[in-house]
Amino acid sequence: MTGATPAIAVRGLRKDFGSFSAVRGISFDVAPGEIVGFLGPNGAGKTTTIKMITGLLRITSGTVAVNGLDNRRELPRVKRMLGYMSQKFSLYPLLSALENIEFFGGISGLAPRELRAAMARMEQQVAGAILRQKIQDVPPGIRQKVALFVCLLPDPAIILLDEPTSGVDPEARRAFWSEIYGLKTQGKTLLVSTHNLDEAEYCDRILIIHDGELVAAGAPDELLRQKRQASIEALFQDAIREHGQD
Amino acid sequence: MKLRYLVKKELIEVVRQKELLFLMFAGPVIQIIILGYVVSSDIRRVPVAIVNLSRGQVAERVSERVRRSPLFAVRFESRQGADTLELLKKGRAKAVIVFRDARGHGGAARAYPEVQVLMDGIDSNTAMVAAGYFNGIIKGYILDDLARRGRGLPLADRPLFRFNPQLRSINYMGPGIVGFLLTIITMFLTSASLVREKEQQTLDTLLMSPLASLEIYLGKALPAALVGLVDMVIGLLVVVLWFGIPFRGSLFYLLVAALVYLAAILSYALLISVLSTTTQQSMFFAWFSLMLFLLMSGFFTPVANIPQPLRLLADINPLRYLIQIIREIFLKGNGIAYFWKDLLALAGIAASLVSVSLLNFKRFISR
Repeated sequence: MTGATPAIAVRGLRKDFGSFSAVRGISFDVAPGEIVGFLGPNGAGKTTTIKMITGLLRITSGTVAVNGLDNRRELPRVKRMLGYMSQKFSLYPLLSALENIEFFGGISGLAPRELRAAMARMEQQVAGAILRQKIQDVPPGIRQKVALFVCLLPDPAIILLDEPTSGVDPEARRAFWSEIYGLKTQGKTLLVSTHNLDEAEYCDRILIIHDGELVAAGAPDELLRQKRQASIEALFQDAIREHGQD
Repeated sequence: MKLRYLVKKELIEVVRQKELLFLMFAGPVIQIIILGYVVSSDIRRVPVAIVNLSRGQVAERVSERVRRSPLFAVRFESRQGADTLELLKKGRAKAVIVFRDARGHGGAARAYPEVQVLMDGIDSNTAMVAAGYFNGIIKGYILDDLARRGRGLPLADRPLFRFNPQLRSINYMGPGIVGFLLTIITMFLTSASLVREKEQQTLDTLLMSPLASLEIYLGKALPAALVGLVDMVIGLLVVVLWFGIPFRGSLFYLLVAALVYLAAILSYALLISVLSTTTQQSMFFAWFSLMLFLLMSGFFTPVANIPQPLRLLADINPLRYLIQIIREIFLKGNGIAYFWKDLLALAGIAASLVSVSLLNFKRFISR
């Protein structure tokens, strides 16, 4: 970590739903240009944390700063910096891929010419016939690709991907991570949540969350060395066990 | 201009659901035609029994008038005594007319027999109307008889029915059905719209976009309003062309009233959508509201018949005012001078609902 302003700075972030605490005062930074993996089992608090960063969920206590801007006071400006891809890819099932692109691009403020260019770019990557089918009828891998494409339409500097690889086959997952690497080379910052532990190897750093608390944070190799573990799976189990003993 | 993408998306989603499309545009035609025939307070072919114990001619002549009347169907006749209560109990007749010779003080037979009409009062509306028809037949006979003898009543009423001279109940119901249709379509379409976005998780992406909350709100309301207006036009055409109900007023005023009403009903439906967590919940909420709106609207029975403690519900029911205005415009051809109070009340309700709904919507999206 350098002294530069973090792309995302989370401090003492907490979310309570009545008497249940989904996130319990976590703190972490994401540096500009980094790929950070947000690892944890289902229900650990990954989605809640990401939603609080985007401003979609009200924060109970703590702060989130995006490129130095408090996301509660400067939410409209913060939103313009963020790209967000939620679970299930969040596309309109009755619209085709191209119609989804036109819709999301249109509401993001893209001019008709830019929209046409975006759709043409998509057609270079995927056959036009598939792009004209209702998105509910196309394979998950294509849906995932379109969802990421849609997320990137407003050209955000920071991209939050919530379980982007769940429900897709290994080949599509590899292709997806290759796209993520491409984004990193363009200088984008990425926070990617996943419960697939093997995806940690793609990340510059990982954050392991369990029961709403951060139980480990650091570069994968460094963490493996520190904790004297042979695999991320073992590291993950160890971190959770230690957290349970605390 | 971002709003147009949202409106387009909503309309595509409607068009892509073929079953929904059919229900939205062919459904109203079927509904109006069925409702037009079924929801009728006209009394036709009431089953009656005649027990004629009179030996005079008058009873027979009155009975003949009953037989010839299209309002009654004589199912049983007897010249001897019959168990009249049993006839009603078995449902063979809804009314039993009993004629007996009447005698004066000296035991001499009177010119007119005694007439007793026994009614099955379970269906109070039919019983009341049928009793009125009997009275009309008997009164008509007496008047004709007096006229034959060169005499007449010193005072007689001659009612003249304006706006609906044939007293067809469809003329009363038809315009109301148009208002009801506008409610059904917009209510169901809109109350599920935001919930569906929640369920398919597209709402988050929508909220992450630069769209303002008012744009999202309008993006949901405008397509439903458009569909509602198209349905209203279809409804009007069916009511006018199929049932032959004359449209005497101004289409412009009707459109103004419909737009104000749409603001109210769409805000209410969006409020349902915000408060519901599943589509099923929103559908039940919409159905319950729809029944309440309908029962408290004066669609079936006049609002004046609603008991005072429940009148408040009728007073804040936007459908009540729309139906009243539509009837004023449709049947009487009245201009705004005659229904401005109803329009004002409707606008007040619409303004309140828009405010509450928008406030809740803003609170919802900034959870």
